[in-house]
Amino acid sequence: MINHHPTSDVLAQFVAGNLPASVSVLVSSHVELCAECARSVQRLTQQAAIDAFGELADETAGDELLVTDMTSELAGEFEFELEDFDECIAAITAEEADDKRQLPQTVTEIAVGGERIALPTALRSIPLKEWQGMGKLSRSRLALDDGDLRMSLLHIDKGGSVPCHTHKGFEITLLLQGSFTDEMGEYRKGDFIWLDGQHTHQPVTEEGCVCLTVSSDAIHFTQGMSQLLNPIGRFIY
Amino acid sequence: MQTFVSAGAPDKGSANINSHPETQVPPELSVWLVRVADARDKQAFTRLFQFFAPKIKRFGIKQLGNEAQAHELVQETMSNVWRKAHLYDGDKGAATTWVYTVMRNAAFDMLRRVKAKAEMNLGDDIWPIEQVQSEEALPEFADHLMEKQMLAYVDSLPEAQRAVVKGVYYQELSQEQLAQQFGVPIGTIKSRLRLALAKLKQQMGDQQHD
Repeated sequence: MINHHPTSDVLAQFVAGNLPASVSVLVSSHVELCAECARSVQRLTQQAAIDAFGELADETAGDELLVTDMTSELAGEFEFELEDFDECIAAITAEEADDKRQLPQTVTEIAVGGERIALPTALRSIPLKEWQGMGKLSRSRLALDDGDLRMSLLHIDKGGSVPCHTHKGFEITLLLQGSFTDEMGEYRKGDFIWLDGQHTHQPVTEEGCVCLTVSSDAIHFTQGMSQLLNPIGRFIY
Repeated sequence: MQTFVSAGAPDKGSANINSHPETQVPPELSVWLVRVADARDKQAFTRLFQFFAPKIKRFGIKQLGNEAQAHELVQETMSNVWRKAHLYDGDKGAATTWVYTVMRNAAFDMLRRVKAKAEMNLGDDIWPIEQVQSEEALPEFADHLMEKQMLAYVDSLPEAQRAVVKGVYYQELSQEQLAQQFGVPIGTIKSRLRLALAKLKQQMGDQQHD
């Protein structure tokens, strides 16, 4: 049961294509796991399509009227020349259809901590960099150019934790496997958790977990000895 | 002159309709799209182009900020529609929703090319345009890989067989319902299903020997 979802505003921006690439990948990965958000996205996409193209006319409406509407629109406010249209259409229709047979993608699973984990579809073109480990934490950065945002796969082994920390910017976590808890609650597979500088937390995992994370800045450790880790806060997320 | 204006008032209604053509969509869009997929029908594509191009351009100007890029978006989107029309499934939603997805994905990738100088196209990974894949079988992540491979095999079946397999296994329709839907005798559905399953079995067997 997934308890933590993107807000409806985030979903609407996602559908509009307005979110940064890494955040879009994360939302898409959640939607793939969450039937509820998949339905919302479907609804929002239908609405966006209506806003862009219009709604299906009443079946009884005369088709002729619609055809005239289209041509007047072509000739009118848009400066598309009809010859340009023809040229463009001719160029496109000279192309072959894409191969109908979609080959299975190559990178669809990873093995972490002896377990095989299916990767979200949205990650299939994004290369993973080498895994780097520190104690029970290991991390693989995703090779995705997205300004200041960094995207990683994070694995915390059984019984591991991340020392109490806060986020200077924001951090979004999608739980792909396992579970973890922090001061605010318990999280399971599929949960989508968006935290910013107001939150301080110390995630602990009993059974181990694998997360996909996007963060806008290094994390900042807040307690005792762990503050010595601050120079490497950048390493973790 | 003034009387002319007020006398012309009844025309205002139709003028309004013309200035908001986006409230009405021809019901044939879906048929045209399927004809492009099945028959590479240039006539049908021309109709789609005439309907969508100006609207895509308007979306492009809003999203990408200039006319040259908006033109590029029209070409990119319509070219994808031509090449990928077979990924559209009329049972899964309106043609406009599918074309919106194709257009938004193209705009997203174009924007990334300009802003981040990123060459990698991500749009179709983030928002799948293969409608057969974005279906309900969501929660079972464990079977995901298997599921995907199955879908690839199913997609390689001839059209008629594919439709029957999908109807039975993905939409959970009965063979009777399918016979009605396609307007063929139930025996035809049964034989299509038998042929399709034999073919799938063969393909999966091949895979395992590799």
